[in-house]
Amino acid sequence: MDMTYAAATPAVEKRKRSAFARHIVAYLFISPWILGFLFFTLGPLVFSLTMSFYDWPVVGERSFVGLENYRSMLFEDPQFWESLWITVKFAAIYVPFNIVMSFLLALMLHHITFASGFFRTAFYLPSVISGVALVTIWSWIYSREYGLLNFMLSFVGIDGPNWLGDPNLAIVAIIIASLWGLGGTMLILLTGLKAIPKELYEAATVSGVPGWAQMVFITLPMLGPMLLFTFITSIISAFQQLTIALLLTKGGPLGSTYFFAMYIYDNAFKYFDMGYAAAGSWVMFIIVLLLSLGVMRWSAAWVYYEGEVRQNDGENNA
Amino acid sequence: MRKTLLYSALILLSALFIAPFYWTFMTAIKSSAELYQFPPVFWPSEWHWENFAAAWNKQPFGTYLTNSLIVVVLSTIGQLISSSLVAYGFARFRFPGRDPLFILLLATMMIPWDVKMIPLYMEFNLLGWINTLKPLIVPAYFADAFFVFLLRQYIMTVPMEIDEAARMDGANAFDIYWRIHLPLMMPALVLVGTFHFMNAWNDYLGPLIFLNDQSKYTLTLGLSMFKGLHEVDVTSIAAITVILCLPPLALFFVAQRYIMDGAVGSSVKG
Amino acid sequence: MLNRKSIIGSLMVLAMAGTATARAEEILRFATWDTDESLAIQQEIAKKFEEKHPGVKVQVEPYADGYDQKLIAAFGAGNPPDVMYMWNFPQYYTSLKPLDDLIAKGAAEIKPDDFPKGLMNTVRVEGKTYGMPSGFTTQVVFYNKDMFAKAGVEEPKDGWTWDDLRAKAAKFRDEPNKVYGFAVDAKPDPYDFEQFLWSNGTKYISDDGKKIDGYMNSDAAAQVLDMFADMAKTQEAITLNLGDDTSGSTLFKGGKIAMFQSAMWSKSGIDASGIKYGVAPLPKFGDKTAHSALGVSAISIAKDAAHPDLAWEFVKFFSSPEAVAMRVNDLPVRTSVAEEKGMTKDPIYKPFFDILATSNSETHAFLKNANWGKVQDNLARAIEATMIDQGNAKQHLDDAVARSKRLVK
Repeated sequence: MDMTYAAATPAVEKRKRSAFARHIVAYLFISPWILGFLFFTLGPLVFSLTMSFYDWPVVGERSFVGLENYRSMLFEDPQFWESLWITVKFAAIYVPFNIVMSFLLALMLHHITFASGFFRTAFYLPSVISGVALVTIWSWIYSREYGLLNFMLSFVGIDGPNWLGDPNLAIVAIIIASLWGLGGTMLILLTGLKAIPKELYEAATVSGVPGWAQMVFITLPMLGPMLLFTFITSIISAFQQLTIALLLTKGGPLGSTYFFAMYIYDNAFKYFDMGYAAAGSWVMFIIVLLLSLGVMRWSAAWVYYEGEVRQNDGENNA
Repeated sequence: MRKTLLYSALILLSALFIAPFYWTFMTAIKSSAELYQFPPVFWPSEWHWENFAAAWNKQPFGTYLTNSLIVVVLSTIGQLISSSLVAYGFARFRFPGRDPLFILLLATMMIPWDVKMIPLYMEFNLLGWINTLKPLIVPAYFADAFFVFLLRQYIMTVPMEIDEAARMDGANAFDIYWRIHLPLMMPALVLVGTFHFMNAWNDYLGPLIFLNDQSKYTLTLGLSMFKGLHEVDVTSIAAITVILCLPPLALFFVAQRYIMDGAVGSSVKG
Repeated sequence: MLNRKSIIGSLMVLAMAGTATARAEEILRFATWDTDESLAIQQEIAKKFEEKHPGVKVQVEPYADGYDQKLIAAFGAGNPPDVMYMWNFPQYYTSLKPLDDLIAKGAAEIKPDDFPKGLMNTVRVEGKTYGMPSGFTTQVVFYNKDMFAKAGVEEPKDGWTWDDLRAKAAKFRDEPNKVYGFAVDAKPDPYDFEQFLWSNGTKYISDDGKKIDGYMNSDAAAQVLDMFADMAKTQEAITLNLGDDTSGSTLFKGGKIAMFQSAMWSKSGIDASGIKYGVAPLPKFGDKTAHSALGVSAISIAKDAAHPDLAWEFVKFFSSPEAVAMRVNDLPVRTSVAEEKGMTKDPIYKPFFDILATSNSETHAFLKNANWGKVQDNLARAIEATMIDQGNAKQHLDDAVARSKRLVK
């Protein structure tokens, strides 16, 4: 590389101006998102916040009720706490499983060359299938009487349970069905793995660093940014989990798969109570945001950014 | 020995992921008599290939396909351009308000769709975009938070020294984005392209809410119309599902090579 | 490279082209939840209407499963279709146009008396009419004639009871082959399910809409639920919708159940399957009169319709004998059409019409209380719990009443 030292002796004035210019450039780069936010997100956001302070039926009279929606949701509505608890349980199992299983699969795929394209496509296959069909497939699999799963179990002499009809099992069934779509997470981690320079491993191997230590000291730290990404997006998708449960169990049996997102959905589209649904959305928004910020803060301990902007040491790199 | 073990595990696992697709295909091609036999029919006695054509011809799927292609292709292009620009901006610059803005960007992923729907509809209605494909295309040109986040994380694994070296060479910010980061990002961009393609291809709510007229409908809306209020046309759902899977699968099979060859990245970094 | 550019270019042209078509015509938007054949029939009716009204284009908008979601977005944003299918009047009526004056003015042409009174009651809220009935169904029992013949079981007769049904169903029980005599639904639509309470002399909620204790959880109500649960327990019936969305009509068409309680919407599918079947009326509880839920679909006009006059013309045409006769997937809402087609005498259709006579006497719960939607979900859970428990209906119904107290004032 051609090193030019001429540029390293600028006047103070020039440095200031160039910092200003650099800010402008930065804003230009992120301007598509800023404009998009102003056009397509900010309005709906303000609107929904306003709605949450109103008794807002889809049609008919609207009236300002202050914090009433929030109050009756938190203190009078058993459905709120029940659905929130189910969602937390779901997230607590789904998120770690989703990441660990995706990571293991990605590692396996990382180490093969023959037919790697086939396997990658195979694991991604479920993510290609659209919601309507996905659910039809799962209801065939889980069906008590005619299902694929219980038919398989019958070969080993097990009288299969009623997967979606048993309040204790239905949530397990939903978790399995959701994990089946881990292909996307796996691909993200695989892409991350591929981006780790091979030289690091070569050097480590030469120095006699054992495989497990390479995993702990090279793979995991280098994959940190991608792991953080999957962590946060998994939390978000766990809380927004709706389609599968809505179509597969309709929240049942006995409300055992009645997720928080479904609670919001029902208030909006079944009870036509948009104000209440908006209040629920904001509660969910705040919970997910706090969780995500917590993970972010915690991640500073284990995520290593190769390309961090380091000029200012005190800065928190979010 | 280790390879054998690895491959056996992969074959077993992948069978789990493929089995349901196999089942869908077999459902599509079965006679209606075999559809609900018990024990289930794994290998139909007759193959009714005509089920595919029959399902396709039950609705104007040709029109739906055109609409879906327009939406998917145009919005994917927009998503790739805008998200990579924004991600680069967040990953490689320090500027006032960057961190709060980034948190805001993340926060936009967390708003449930239910409450955004009506105000968005109002807005598109005001713009005269209802019953056109624009609401499904234009927002993609304004960067999606999920993809910005993904690309930003990816860029941040690239050593800063590369940028600095280029700057020493007199490259400006856009050059660095265009000539260094875009090529480096290729695997992640392919990922973004794939994910966005799949989202747009399988999107149901957007088309449902913003399109009125069957001549504007997309494939997923057509598919959902086999599920009536009381009766479900299982064979047609399965048949159309199989057809709908093929283009993205073929595309993915081609695209995944680029994900594999992270080689571009490591060679520059070395 | 050039090639790729031109593809993208032509896509853009296509994307823009959509907006510019058909400006000269007046476009009437008509939203429907129907799909498949029923949709095709409606499109044909629309075409007929266009022929009679040159310069008008009827844009049929099928929303299928997403009907409510779509309508909510459209109403919420103030851009509803002009004319739409409707059943849930208590939720939507404030955005719909009252039709009483129009009907009165056009009485000579419309002949309102040609519509059974029970049907007209379902399109009224607070004394005003918000739609014209376009199709209806009562509930019946379909039975598979071949299965009955093969098992040597006597076919159901008018005036049969649930005890008769259970005795017959028991004879079909064949667990290894998953064949049963009947199907009970663990997640029935509570709207339809109330017919069994009526038939057993009770109802969900008092007529003033203020009391559910002693109604929904009455002994008569518990008796109904316990009976269905017991049928599942003794395997006289397979349980539907308990972790399995295989529908009753699918099982019936596949020869897995001998009897199937359903409505008009199952008929065309059963016809297509080629099964030899008969239709029996709903069974009675002992010697009490059997009641059936009345499922009515209607078409309504949005209060803010862009073309209110044209919309009314369309509603009138849709309700005309000509259009009613075209909708062969629905039972005719005009008595004259039903009689002309001989349906009131046809053994397949007769049970649908016979029970109509008793359908005037009860009002569906959702017309009585504004919070019914939420109460109904508690009730649905009690029904499901009873089916899972295979009993204990009283306890589950008491729970539902307790959970609903704050919603019913």
